[in-house]
Amino acid sequence: MTESSANKPANGQVCHRVKNGVKPGRNGFIKNHHHYHHQQPMYCYPEDKVQHTTCNGSSGLGLYSRPFIESFEETPMLVAVLTYMGYGILTIFGYLRDFLRDWKIERCHVAREREEQRDFVPLYQDFENFYTRNLYMRIRDSWNRPICSVPGAKVDLVERVSPDYNWTFDYTGKVVEGVINMGSYNYLGFAENTGYCADASAEVTMKYGVGVASTRQEMGNLDRHEEMEELVAKFLGVESAMAFGMGFATNSMNIPALTGKGCLILSDELNHASLVLGARLSGSTIRVFKHNNMQSLEKMLRDAIVHGQPRTHRPWKKILILVEGIYSMEGSIVRLPEVIALKKRYRAYLYLDEAHSIGALGPGGRGVVDYFGLDPRDVDVMMGTFTKSFGAAGGYIGGRKELLEYLRSHSHSAVYAASMSPPVVEQIIASMKCIMGEDGTTLGRDRVQQLAENTLYFRRRLTEMGFIIYGNNDSPVVPMMLYMPAKIGAFGREMLKRNIGVVVVGFPATPIIESRARFCISAAHTKDMLDTALSVISEVGDLLQVKYSRHKRLIYDQIQD
Amino acid sequence: MQPKPKTWSLTTEETNLPSPPLEMNRQIIERVEDYKFLGNIIGNKNKMNVGVAHSEVNPNTRVMNSRGIWLTYALGVGMLHIVLLSIPFFSVPVVWTLTNIIHNFGMYVFMHAVKGTPFETPDQGKARLLTHWEQLDYGVQFTSSRKFFTISPIILYFLASFYTKYDTTHFVINTASLLSVLIPKLPQLHGVRIFGINKY
Repeated sequence: MTESSANKPANGQVCHRVKNGVKPGRNGFIKNHHHYHHQQPMYCYPEDKVQHTTCNGSSGLGLYSRPFIESFEETPMLVAVLTYMGYGILTIFGYLRDFLRDWKIERCHVAREREEQRDFVPLYQDFENFYTRNLYMRIRDSWNRPICSVPGAKVDLVERVSPDYNWTFDYTGKVVEGVINMGSYNYLGFAENTGYCADASAEVTMKYGVGVASTRQEMGNLDRHEEMEELVAKFLGVESAMAFGMGFATNSMNIPALTGKGCLILSDELNHASLVLGARLSGSTIRVFKHNNMQSLEKMLRDAIVHGQPRTHRPWKKILILVEGIYSMEGSIVRLPEVIALKKRYRAYLYLDEAHSIGALGPGGRGVVDYFGLDPRDVDVMMGTFTKSFGAAGGYIGGRKELLEYLRSHSHSAVYAASMSPPVVEQIIASMKCIMGEDGTTLGRDRVQQLAENTLYFRRRLTEMGFIIYGNNDSPVVPMMLYMPAKIGAFGREMLKRNIGVVVVGFPATPIIESRARFCISAAHTKDMLDTALSVISEVGDLLQVKYSRHKRLIYDQIQD
Repeated sequence: MQPKPKTWSLTTEETNLPSPPLEMNRQIIERVEDYKFLGNIIGNKNKMNVGVAHSEVNPNTRVMNSRGIWLTYALGVGMLHIVLLSIPFFSVPVVWTLTNIIHNFGMYVFMHAVKGTPFETPDQGKARLLTHWEQLDYGVQFTSSRKFFTISPIILYFLASFYTKYDTTHFVINTASLLSVLIPKLPQLHGVRIFGINKY
């Protein structure tokens, strides 16, 4: 029937019947679980413990060594109706404004075709620009904000004003200083311009310069690159690794080298654009399974193996499963133990994109494999980026030695793209050594621990305040639901007025009623900063009335009152 | 060398509250599985998705399935009816006929006349020449939304016929209006443009 975040497959575990005789509901899910959906307060009473063990069913199979808790609370119906009404009113006003612009009553700021080419076939359709000129332009000042300092825990923004409702921006010349940065992917706090890593990068720049002026295959293979790759391989626990200059290009250029025509790619619904582009460029058949839904994945694997290729029914040459470690829009963590179990059972290959999870999850910061306590050799291709947790730029692929030897000669990125710049390489080496503890300090371990504590604290306080937060309890990406289009712009602006910088996302990057603000927790955030941020978020949340959650922690609220 | 960051946790020292028992920290996993992934197998071809965080190529195909939109639609029609009822000049039969006509006109314009999407899609404009009705669920017929939006003008027609006491003039007007909005919904007319009207 209707879909919503709650209707979408959640606990999509591997298809096993529960043994305690409880009758499964639709799709093998335990029916009783439904009834406990709304009536329970936040604290679970002892009789629910049984439900949890069976609902969180795979713990019965022994796949998960720790509780896997994620929540995607359903949109309240009233909020959904109001959101649609909001979009409806904006649409009506959009049509009105278009009418006024057409009849020259209002000045038209949108680019138009040249006079000489007026009778040519139009390049763009007017209607396709409707959303951009009538909705996006109104709240455009929440995006593309220029920053003028290092994006650490606090950042400086260039102040800008708009005289004509965001069609053009003027710089006032002032700088907004000390804005608490809740939007940068700075999970371990390595985005800094002082300290050991910055000094090491500066030294290397003095020695090697900034540009490399060649590709890896020609004259661009520095000894620093070799050292970095060995270090990355050691960090991940794989045999060999290779690094590329751009994280997006790592995915889009290497997946075509791995699969081709006659292969099958099973990719998650919410995969990043780089994975989708890489899959498309490879020419393989792509099938999409529901987000993090292991039943959907298993069904697709079985169908693929049983039926083979579409018309000829020949067996697939290879089957590659594309998943991400942390999905940055939902904050959910992949169900890696189950994916690996499925992969082994059906003999498929696994490509794990740890862009957001490397450095951010796991007791040693080694990513989602470390978080679940699994063997890195089970994942065939471990990909990740250096942009998020290491404060550098670029991506890497790790795996077996034969795979990497193949990629070194067959990947487009290796053959055609310029190699990484030496200061960036040095930053990676320094930060990775720091995380592993090889520089002789406990700084890395402290940062990883700090991030975990920050995440737990922040998420818990936000859910206590009554916001709807998506995602896994351990993920440092915290999407907070705003739902209504006007609140997207209002939230961004109000937070900036109170000196906090956030990233807000709306339609079409998210489903139409699920617009959100996304916070990225950093190890560089001190408790004071988080407390300030939380109090401001609570204040703005009260002002905008975005505290939609129906599972408020009643006890804490009563006491705080 | 930075000083060791101050660690904290939600224990009794920090919050001065009795700390909840460990089992009570679990949250209920709230997602329910009930999704038929028709659209994704049939319709979703691998596209380069720039600027979006999901692999749904054309969100227009799924908007009529989202949570709460049927209710919003029904409330919208109800609101229209109440506004028309508030106008003192119109009698009840006239109001019902007007509701029927305006609703069908609106439905025709937005579902069967306007083509394409109000935003750029990453599929190089495959849906540019398709009306919204044709885009629903990537062209799969007889899905729930299609059934709902076919039945709703019929229900409105029944109500209007009842309240106009089956008067001939009203009947003719209402029937013509209903046909104008039912005929484009037939599967046989999927993608058909009569006399080339509204083709490009």
